[in-house]
Amino acid sequence: MANNMADAVIIGGGVHGCATAYYLAKAGCKRVVLLEKGYLASGGTGRSGAGIRHQFGTEINIRLSSAAVRMMENLEQELEYPRGISLMQKGYLIIAYTETQMEQFAKNVQLQREIDPENLTEILTTEEINRKLPFLNVEGVLGGTFNRRDGHANPFHVVQAFAEAAKRLGVDIRTFTEVVDIRTDQGKVTAVVTDKGEVIQTPVVVNCAGPHGAVVSKMAGVDIPLYPQRHQVAVTEPLEMFLPCMVLDFTHGTWFKQTPDGSLILGVGDPEHEVKEINQRCTWEFMKDVAEKMVFHIPRLKDVVVVRQWAGLYDMTPDSQAILGATPVEGFYLDVGWSGHGFQLGPIVGKIMAELISGQKPCIDVSCMSLERFEKGELIPEPNCV
Amino acid sequence: MLSYEIAVIGGGPAGLCAAISAAAAGASVALIEKDRHLGGQLVKQTHMFFGSKAQFASTRGIDIADILSRQCEELKNITVLLGATVLGYYDDQVLTIEQDNKVQRVKADCLVVATGASEKVLPFPNNDLPGIYGAGAVQTLMNVYGVKPADRVLMVGAGNIGLIVSYQLLQAHVKVAGIIEAAKHIGGYLVHASKIRRAGVPIMTGYTIKKAYGERKVEGAIVWQLDDRWQPIPGTELDIPVDAVCLAVGLTPMGELLWQAGCQMIYVPQLGGHVPFRKATLETTVPGIYVAGDVAGVEEASSAMVEGRLAGLAAARRLGYHNADWENKYQDALQQLMALRSGPVGEKICSGLKCVVV
Ligand SMILES: Cc1cc2nc3c(=O)[nH]c(=O)nc-3n(C[C@H](O)[C@H](O)[C@H](O)COP(=O)(O)OP(=O)(O)OC[C@H]3O[C@@H](n4cnc5c(N)ncnc54)[C@H](O)[C@@H]3O)c2cc1C
Ligand SMILES: Cc1cc2nc3c(=O)[nH]c(=O)nc-3n(C[C@H](O)[C@H](O)[C@H](O)COP(=O)(O)OP(=O)(O)OC[C@H]3O[C@@H](n4cnc5c(N)ncnc54)[C@H](O)[C@@H]3O)c2cc1C
Repeated sequence: MANNMADAVIIGGGVHGCATAYYLAKAGCKRVVLLEKGYLASGGTGRSGAGIRHQFGTEINIRLSSAAVRMMENLEQELEYPRGISLMQKGYLIIAYTETQMEQFAKNVQLQREIDPENLTEILTTEEINRKLPFLNVEGVLGGTFNRRDGHANPFHVVQAFAEAAKRLGVDIRTFTEVVDIRTDQGKVTAVVTDKGEVIQTPVVVNCAGPHGAVVSKMAGVDIPLYPQRHQVAVTEPLEMFLPCMVLDFTHGTWFKQTPDGSLILGVGDPEHEVKEINQRCTWEFMKDVAEKMVFHIPRLKDVVVVRQWAGLYDMTPDSQAILGATPVEGFYLDVGWSGHGFQLGPIVGKIMAELISGQKPCIDVSCMSLERFEKGELIPEPNCV
Repeated sequence: MLSYEIAVIGGGPAGLCAAISAAAAGASVALIEKDRHLGGQLVKQTHMFFGSKAQFASTRGIDIADILSRQCEELKNITVLLGATVLGYYDDQVLTIEQDNKVQRVKADCLVVATGASEKVLPFPNNDLPGIYGAGAVQTLMNVYGVKPADRVLMVGAGNIGLIVSYQLLQAHVKVAGIIEAAKHIGGYLVHASKIRRAGVPIMTGYTIKKAYGERKVEGAIVWQLDDRWQPIPGTELDIPVDAVCLAVGLTPMGELLWQAGCQMIYVPQLGGHVPFRKATLETTVPGIYVAGDVAGVEEASSAMVEGRLAGLAAARRLGYHNADWENKYQDALQQLMALRSGPVGEKICSGLKCVVV
């Protein structure tokens, strides 16, 4: 039987769990155990668009993402990961179809520049968009924002890079091991129980369970306002590289990118119709919807073959922002609620979680993301997300 | 959206028999086949079948396909969709189908999945050179399209498929440089093997392929010997100049639609790979989804046909088509399956089935 005493147990093997495990071990935490009920990146992380962008509209996300992009740029070196994370840093375009969106975009860009003088986000006119991506249908497009330092990466490699580096630092990663209970005593965490019947004694538990975050919190007696919401994705046959940047459109709820191997990854968010439960099954309605919308955006896609589809879950909160940090149960920490933008922030948030847990002052103040904000009514709605 | 009581996916021997038996029992059936013709593997089988009269022994595979297709056409409650590939199956019982570059949707109360199997490949350097074929692909080229696939071939695998395809290559005036087989014994029927040996083709057991070579296409292959622990023995390499390498190293069930439908699957080597758990009626763990033929476990056309009949009957019964004749037909099919699997060849199948029949 494996060693069942730990200094910290992390629940969830997505990017947040693996990054937190790595930075905790790096900070000197000796016995870190990570428990994942499936395989690594089997949750939202592996199912995401894995877009990376500076382009947010709230101060906290702008600070986090500025730091995160820099970390992504150096991740392969920092984690000594030989296979690479397929970082494509050829930009990220967000297009607007309404005046309201254009006004919001202008505010976002101003805020981004105020907070981070190095921020490269620019406002583009329709003509400039057309010149950049001539194949994109700009009918109805009023303009957009673009940042050439943004892009996308391969989420499986990012997770693998963190996991391998964490293992080298002694982290015990156990896949196909589900946490079924969290024990507390007098308001303090004492142990987690797995589906294999193991009881792991620990003073610290970090909930990185993504869409299962509320279920896991409940095990520790902590209620959090979090629910899953399904999003679906389609993948095409590989095509010669033509789409260097990622594109996002809030009007149609669409986003798309081309991976280095040539496949297009096409997503549509449809919160109105999509299920809000733990359900990762695919629908034919999505295939129809995504085909119509993508052919609208890029008419030349009409003859391209879709090879598969998948579904994943956003972990949603009332303001589409994460819940980070300590809880009323001592030793029980939250890192959940990342909606549709948590992949890119994994590295920086893992670092911050490690700092919080080891009692250091975090490099970015994340107190506005605390659980208490919902009681206090201090929501921080992010305008720039699907 | 069109809707049918039963959708049968795959028009090979299993699917054809499923459609016929379900329709004869009274159900409305759509038989969906991605090829432009019915018959599945049968249409390339120009040799005569073994087995018992009930499964068309001594008839050529291609003729069996014709007989079954005609029976299908005579049943008015079967709609045949050709050139129609089933792309997916969704929770609301909707199938998406690609036909003539258009996607259509079909709703079905019950499914019989009879998609057959696909050929396995082997990992070795240069296995992606043009000229590396599956044996089934070579057979299709020759027997269905009349194309001579190569001038000189190395066959990898001495199971029945490797032996039969080698013989058919000889008939097509293709030289067979040799048949190599990793195991110490020939897996296929000895009648086939002796016919080939008599034609002067060496069958080398205990050999495997080390690599293929060639500039833009296959120009030859290096083979080497395996020891008792299946490890290659350096120094035993032989260079065989050929312009094609045929891999006849087994088939694996094509269960993608079953995975998507959420059927519980299990890896059973005796059945060729991942296969669904099923009841004696061939119903999977998803109610209303049945399987038949190679997709349920790689076996033979004869058992595929009987399984098809069984699954078709069971699906029809689920929908309420149950007359006096039903029980007789059902029992008859069960008996035939047992008889087919009673010999020594059936042992392996039976041991595999023990793991999956619930
Ligand atoms: C379709 C889609 C597109 C997206 N696009 C982007 C994008 O472009 N950019 C971006 O930054 N983000 C994107 N996201 C969001 C991003 O994927 C998530 O915010 C991020 O991956 C969350 O990571 P995580 O580690 O917190 O959670 P997850 O990756 O979901 O990991 C949680 C893990 O916990 C495990 N788990 C749950 N319960 C238990 C238990 N009881 N015991 C053990 N293990 C358990 C799960 O199996 C899972 O592996 C997208 C998400 C989706 C679904
Ligand atoms: C060389 C060779 C010799 C053989 N000799 C004998 C013999 O002598 N006796 C014997 O009993 N057996 C023999 N067999 C085995 C026999 O051919 C197979 O076991 C049998 O054909 C399996 O039948 P099936 O209907 O399950 O699959 P198949 O015959 O493979 O039919 C499956 C059908 O499904 C279709 N399909 C697959 N996916 C889809 C989809 N998504 N949408 C629509 N259609 C789809 C395929 O196009 C195909 O037509 C031989 C096989 C080979 C290769």
